Amino acid sequence: MTGAAAHVPPAPPPAAAARRHRHLLDFEGWTAEEVVSLLETADVMAQVLTRPVKRVPALQGYTVATLFFEESTRTRLSFERAARAQSADVISFAAGSSSLKKGESVRDTLRTIEQLQADLYVVRHPSAGVPHQIARWTDRAVVNAGDGRHAHPTQALLDAYTLRAALTEAGLPPQDRARPFAGRRLTIVGDIEHSRVARSNAELFTLLGGEVVLCGPAALLPRELGRLPGVHLTTDLDEAASGADALMALRIQRERLGPRRLTSLAEYVARYQLRERHLALAKPHAFVMHPGPLNRDVEVATELADGPRSLVERQVASGVPVRMAVLYALLVGRS
Amino acid sequence: MPETANLVLKSKIMSAAEFERALKRIAHEVIERNKGAGDVALVGIHTRGVPLAERLAGLIERFEGSRPPVGKLDITLYRDDLTEISLQPIVRRTEVDFDVHGAKIVLVDDVLYTGRTARAALDAIIDMGRPAAIQYAVMVDRGHRELPIRADYVGKNVPTSRSEIVHVRLREVDGEDGVELWERAA
Amino acid sequence: MRLALRGGRLLDGAGDRGTHDLYVKDGVIEGLDLGGPVDVDVDAEGKLVTPAFLDLHVHLRDPGQEVKEDLASGLAAAAAGGYGTVVSMANTDPVVDDPGIVADLVARAARVEGARLRPAAAISRGLRGEELTDFAALKAAGAVMVTDDGVPVADSRLFRSACEYAAELGLVVQTHSEDPTLRDGGVMHEGAVSQRLGLPGNPDAAEAVMVFRDGEVARLTGARVHIAHVSSRRGLEVARWLKASGAPITVEVTPHHLTLTDESLCGFDPVYKVAPPLRTTDDVAALRAGLTDGSVDAIGTDHAPHTLAEKQQDMLTAPFGIANLEVAFPLLYTRLVLGGALPLERLLWLLQDGPARVMGWPAPRLEPGAPADVTVLDLGSERAVDGARFRTKAKHTPWQGEALRGWPVATVVAGRLVHRDEG
Repeated sequence: MTGAAAHVPPAPPPAAAARRHRHLLDFEGWTAEEVVSLLETADVMAQVLTRPVKRVPALQGYTVATLFFEESTRTRLSFERAARAQSADVISFAAGSSSLKKGESVRDTLRTIEQLQADLYVVRHPSAGVPHQIARWTDRAVVNAGDGRHAHPTQALLDAYTLRAALTEAGLPPQDRARPFAGRRLTIVGDIEHSRVARSNAELFTLLGGEVVLCGPAALLPRELGRLPGVHLTTDLDEAASGADALMALRIQRERLGPRRLTSLAEYVARYQLRERHLALAKPHAFVMHPGPLNRDVEVATELADGPRSLVERQVASGVPVRMAVLYALLVGRS
Repeated sequence: MPETANLVLKSKIMSAAEFERALKRIAHEVIERNKGAGDVALVGIHTRGVPLAERLAGLIERFEGSRPPVGKLDITLYRDDLTEISLQPIVRRTEVDFDVHGAKIVLVDDVLYTGRTARAALDAIIDMGRPAAIQYAVMVDRGHRELPIRADYVGKNVPTSRSEIVHVRLREVDGEDGVELWERAA
Repeated sequence: MRLALRGGRLLDGAGDRGTHDLYVKDGVIEGLDLGGPVDVDVDAEGKLVTPAFLDLHVHLRDPGQEVKEDLASGLAAAAAGGYGTVVSMANTDPVVDDPGIVADLVARAARVEGARLRPAAAISRGLRGEELTDFAALKAAGAVMVTDDGVPVADSRLFRSACEYAAELGLVVQTHSEDPTLRDGGVMHEGAVSQRLGLPGNPDAAEAVMVFRDGEVARLTGARVHIAHVSSRRGLEVARWLKASGAPITVEVTPHHLTLTDESLCGFDPVYKVAPPLRTTDDVAALRAGLTDGSVDAIGTDHAPHTLAEKQQDMLTAPFGIANLEVAFPLLYTRLVLGGALPLERLLWLLQDGPARVMGWPAPRLEPGAPADVTVLDLGSERAVDGARFRTKAKHTPWQGEALRGWPVATVVAGRLVHRDEG
């Protein structure tokens, strides 16, 4: 008789917890721990996609509806794949189709769609805040797939997922599981003002312990963003690139901005295109990222886009597993 | 946790010695049934099936001279109750590094109860490839099957009531081996 | 028709007149404690009896947008808010840029039970900012003010001409002071909140720049220019400076700019979308300070009703405007007077004598012979705001559910009881 191990009653099933979030609109109210759990779940989902049968029955019986008031075939297909890979049913509403009527209020559109009894809405809209409005009007789950300039949380998640894996493979794994980007710097270059990718990445990267530098033309760099914790602003790309662990370029759309907002494209390229020289200023292992689709030799010089440090293809590939993890996290444990 | 607060130890079903003996017997049965351990692979079902599978692999190596590969399987994504439960299980990595196709797989778990976990494990394995055979080893079979599932190798049969909990203790996890029967206090 | 308002405390711009029964006969104030038979009896015991308010800035949406509001619902809502007279804006459909439309408004309003209507007419045809309207004819038809409110008059030369004609004819020019290209499609105040939320911003500089332009042209022409809905510290400072240096301008502030900030937009609810936008706590503090230091001449509601469906569109598409006629006084009384930031007398002045002075009208008094426009206010009881009970068609309100005091329980206009709150 050892007299040692006192009889300890069996613990409840390990690692099941009350589902803490109804929606993923942005990262307001999310803890670093919750985000890292999502990334770890995405790891498992990525495994599923390497098997002969690239599907699991986890979300069988659930229905996911994609409401894309703003068209984006790539993102919509990525979400739909993420739903189907977990055996959920999918209903698609796309901007061009007659099912999303122009001039109809979001509220009225939602009323029509609610008849179809989806469990979760994936919403993209040209105006900030529509996913938040929909979340107020429905008791179903809502995932923000991009709302105006405000947020694109799953993009930030897949960027974090990709960078975290790349750093680990480069021999630089996180020291603290819940702060995987502690001591790391992400530099984002481009039209920051109009970019939901910039906002969500700034929000998420700093939540996970890192520092963010936002860089771009002066008329497109909102001053007040520099007040956010862990965020710095600069119009100088050399300064922004120095010491960065990752350089992320954003799409520039000059036709949309116009000549009253942006000097010529040639000047933009001269001052803000990512080149070898910037990689040399960054950390030795630094990576090149872009949310896509990339304008070759505009935002990123071709050698960098196709070079060994580019994570662009991996970013694209990580979209489905990350979105699978998000759907799982928002649907399972709802009752 | 509220769960543990209401539990009362009823009896000790297996001592550490009985546990070890049962595990050795299972190892011998696996070797005998499969005419050697050459093409056998063990897959432990998270969580406690994994250390059990590792132990079994060690014993088989001791008796046969070669150690079968051991995989770890998380069945969360194959559960049949995900639309009903109110908690959200954390999904863990599945690590099956050998080729499932044509293999003789022995699934290993601590307790066989309703059979739903085993059903999920079968579906998960089959989605990875087409094994030659799947067998099933458990330390305790406690009855109350809800599906037509049976274990090929059983450490001990223990009739239980639904209010009881069978707790398989492992020295890797709990400090000592054994099987206990606990009951929910009224 | 004779009315008695019994036992209330009588207060107007001349002072506290004590607790009395106030008698009204044939559309004018008759006197105090006169006794005798009356047709209508109103119990005002424990309440405040004061001249009905004057609002120089409401959007009644009539003609053409009656789904949002019409004369009947708008003038009833005004009366329910304690208002006796409102000046209606011209950005309807068609725009009030023609004397016939003005005359029609005046005629129809006379048949509606509610506050009095004094129409404003547009400065430019169709509000397009290109061609002047016929100010003299519009005045003759009943217009008391000219304004393109809803939009600024971008062309300074046109604005100057408008001021010259208005000065000649004795019309007040009301301005919506925002530089349209600096505003650049902004839907909320440009600041830390808008930049974080990713919503296009409208900087306070857009207002300050235009207030300066409007004030200088007023000084140049001698026109009485009333700057509507000043929303920012900068805009108010510019206006203050202009006044001090001799520009004949007056300043209006709205109830929502005195009580709400840009943080309200964090939930992306278009019910808070208004032009000019809700700004920062610092701007609110500056506007409140302006209420007592002489910078602000009048409180105007800028009552701007829209349908629920319109306000349930997305933040970029939803129209600008907050409907607040019925909640204006209780809101300002509760937040500012009871909050200690503003004496009651000053609040009443900003709703009565102040706007009257802007228009060059006699200050409203509870004296025999004065027009019988009176409101009875219950300063004691607290009640939650319930949009469903509003007379306005715009029942969705930013203040839904908030507990306020100072509800108007009765309003008399031209000697007729046009509002009575049954409780």
